[in-house]
Amino acid sequence: MLRITGGKVYDPAHGVNGVVKDICILDGKIVADVPAGARIINASSMFIFPGGVDIHTHVAGAALNFARALTPENQRAAAKFLHTADTRLGIGGATPTTFATGYLYAGMGYTTVVEAAVPVLSAKHTHEELRDTPIVDKACCLLMANNELVMDLLEKGEYERAKDVTAWMISAAKVYGVKAVNPGGVAAWKWGKNANHMHEAVSGYNKVTPGTIVSNLARICDELKLPHPMHLHCNNLGIPGNVSTTLETMKMLEGNRAHMAHLQFHSYGGDDWHNMRSESVHIADYFNAHPNLTCDAGAVLFGNAVTITADGPWQHLLYQLTGRKWGNLDVENETGCGIVPYTYKGSNLVNAVQWAVGLELLLLIDDPWRIFLTTDHPNGACFWRYPEIIHMLMNADFRMEQVRKLPEAALSRIFLDEIDREYSLYEVAILTSAGPARALGMKQKGHLGIGADADIAIYNEKADGELLFRYPRYVIKGGELAVEEGDIKSTRDGHEFVVQPHYNPDIEGYLREKFEEQYTMSFDNYPVDAERVHGMQMADCSYQKTP
Amino acid sequence: MGGKVSCTLGEVKNRADLIIYWGGNPAECHPRHFTKYTIMQKGKFIPEGRKGRTMVLVDIRETMSVKAADIFLQVRPSKDFEMLSAIRAMVKGQPVDPVLVEETGLKMEQLQDLVDRMKRCKFGVIFFGMGLSMTRGKHMNSAQILTLAAEMNAFTKFVAMPMRGHGNVAGADMVLRWTTGYPFGVNLCRGFPRFNPGEFSTVDLLVRGDIDACLVLGADPGATMPQPGIDTLRRVPTIVLDPKVTYTSQISRVHITTSPTGISSPGTAYRMDEVPLPLRPALKSPYPSDEEVVKRIIQAVLRKPAWLPGSKVAASDVA
Amino acid sequence: MSLTIIKNATCTFCGCVCDDIEVHAEGNKIVETKAACSLGKSWFMNHNAEKIYPEALIDGKEASIEDAIEAAADYLYKAHMPLVYGLSNVTCEAQREAVSLAEKIGAVIDSHTSL
Repeated sequence: MLRITGGKVYDPAHGVNGVVKDICILDGKIVADVPAGARIINASSMFIFPGGVDIHTHVAGAALNFARALTPENQRAAAKFLHTADTRLGIGGATPTTFATGYLYAGMGYTTVVEAAVPVLSAKHTHEELRDTPIVDKACCLLMANNELVMDLLEKGEYERAKDVTAWMISAAKVYGVKAVNPGGVAAWKWGKNANHMHEAVSGYNKVTPGTIVSNLARICDELKLPHPMHLHCNNLGIPGNVSTTLETMKMLEGNRAHMAHLQFHSYGGDDWHNMRSESVHIADYFNAHPNLTCDAGAVLFGNAVTITADGPWQHLLYQLTGRKWGNLDVENETGCGIVPYTYKGSNLVNAVQWAVGLELLLLIDDPWRIFLTTDHPNGACFWRYPEIIHMLMNADFRMEQVRKLPEAALSRIFLDEIDREYSLYEVAILTSAGPARALGMKQKGHLGIGADADIAIYNEKADGELLFRYPRYVIKGGELAVEEGDIKSTRDGHEFVVQPHYNPDIEGYLREKFEEQYTMSFDNYPVDAERVHGMQMADCSYQKTP
Repeated sequence: MGGKVSCTLGEVKNRADLIIYWGGNPAECHPRHFTKYTIMQKGKFIPEGRKGRTMVLVDIRETMSVKAADIFLQVRPSKDFEMLSAIRAMVKGQPVDPVLVEETGLKMEQLQDLVDRMKRCKFGVIFFGMGLSMTRGKHMNSAQILTLAAEMNAFTKFVAMPMRGHGNVAGADMVLRWTTGYPFGVNLCRGFPRFNPGEFSTVDLLVRGDIDACLVLGADPGATMPQPGIDTLRRVPTIVLDPKVTYTSQISRVHITTSPTGISSPGTAYRMDEVPLPLRPALKSPYPSDEEVVKRIIQAVLRKPAWLPGSKVAASDVA
Repeated sequence: MSLTIIKNATCTFCGCVCDDIEVHAEGNKIVETKAACSLGKSWFMNHNAEKIYPEALIDGKEASIEDAIEAAADYLYKAHMPLVYGLSNVTCEAQREAVSLAEKIGAVIDSHTSL
């Protein structure tokens, strides 16, 4: 039992904008009232936000764990987490250990995170890592856009069966949503190729194009009534001139929902690295007019990062461009992954454009309910640097100071210097919590109404957005005080959300046969047992298309 | 330079038309590698199976695996690094000194033929064993072969994978990475993870006698370590968890019998390509599992006064 | 004695970790394996569930598991720089607990990978 009094509440889902009111908590939920005698937190001169929700991050799984092994030099330089009586030891940095990940997110006021890229083949592994990621609630998206079983069916025009296979895979892997990464491109990478054109057949196929995959998968997600739409990483990530691919893709998605992941990496003009420029205005114009879409920023900050993505061919290109280490792991019949350490430099024109594009999208997309704060951690920057971005969004003068540090030549390629919008606290609450929770279809998250999960971040009033959001005064997770003034107070494990869409049970016989031909493990050992998903909570597949 | 370009074994089964084994003897050490994952399998894109694939074996001696190979390249002992260097140069079209090639025990034409095949194939894979990674050059050899595979991707699809020996050594790498950030040899003495192979690796610690107690599980170092290392295990209190009374048990202070992994204890093991697999035990053991015993040791440790970094009680004070 | 058949059992003898083994068990023994290679077969057949070894030994003498666990905890707790070594032939679940223990006693933890 807990009563938080005197704080200014920001609860955009209920239109509450800085109103002083009590928040009461009982059994992990927000309730109307608690009896006298409940513990009281005096939050006067504090801001009360719903706990942060990260809609797109890479914090667990085979790819991230590969990156940890590949970059011991980063770990050595990163923040250390000491073993204490209550907390586990670990390492922060670009690829934090699982325990550190939980502490870092909670320490920043984030209470729900979505691991955005999970293959079925190693889903067991991802769930093991998430089990060791304390405090926060979790969910996973399953990599399906290069799944050869699905692509082979689309080639034969067997849409219904492709839908059943997708639904079976979601149930087998115990995940929450579907992710599409470079549709067709990762499958082509298995032969060292890529898929750069939306209407060209994918290498090895006659009919299936990236376009076919994108539109069919979006439809499948909607017809399966998944709470979260197809989560899409478009083709041609990071490549100058990719704005045309992105616009073409978005047009193909009309009539369906889709979440456009890390849109920053897909909003470039020009046609080579020397004339690359921002196309955020084009993208934002289209996006603003199409409410079927949501997106996350995938913003870039200067400094060290590690790029980790299922987009194998892009990572090979990045390896050739940078000459740095390269990790690659192709996953049979399903997907791939690539890892290249990367340093974003303010003095580099390409990096300067990337930095600007992320902020431009956040400022030019006018509905904060449809764009969310991410850095595609650890690709654009580490998640624990989100407060730096919030500060730039809230303070146009500070932002302009940063723009003036860019090389002169960058200014003609970006729009950031022409934008004076500033985010309000209310909008920040949408950007970091209410918006992503709604896009994920998590009805119990991202708000402070009665019945919501009691996930709450309480901040000391400060003018500086970075300082304000970096150090919450209190963080409450599931009704328990998890963090107080930077100290971890409780490390109770969070839940993991999964869905179980409906499929025709006959599909299992079909899959078993294909599986024995194409895979190397036993079909019966492939699905993840429910008891391996710690704190599993089933969410409904009840999405209704609004007419 | 550096990194690791790899895949899961099903990719090899479905696509690989050039399979190179280097410093390993799968016929005797990984008997089903050929039949379940590589040369003998009919794959999605290699429907003809064995006929659709070329196997090259590089080793210092003729092993049982030679019979399976289309091409056997016998490298002189300790010349793997030199041979790999020559291949990397030839792949890039750089001049190579024939005298240096001769020192590897191979002819220029043989290496050129290998390079041509590597560039010509659609999907090439190199499996490397302890004959490469644990002989002269050690991790330098591994780095060299992984770099070769990475660089080959400028020409065609190419990957490399170590042939992991022990059943779940891959799992140990995985668990240590997500919990401590490092894959092996992790020092937690200061209350946070530190990694420095050569300083914190077992052989070095044991041979130098740096440690003052040892818990051994899933291994029998008493049978395999250099003598000074075994002396250390005998000198300090060593504790062994094992299904059998091992050599190490015989020189230890404490031995606890545990149920055998996968036969009586359930859980997870990782394949050499880091794919997790469930274990399905067939027998009910009268002994507890390693997991259970370690948990009970943790509980016993937690009953003692808490140790926090910087405030560790001296050994003499505790007694 | 009744025969138990386990399908899709996993062999952890070598790094192949084949998971398509059929294991036939009767009482305390494995009596047959299908699909396993010669190494895997002998590995399965070499283990049984009989109580051959004492549950624990302290200084070479038979001891109870409770005493052995206390003794182990004592030695590890008192040490300044204990080593936790091996891990390669145990489950990931045991490895995970071993890390937790290593952390609580301030140990170095290492596997066969470092050899």
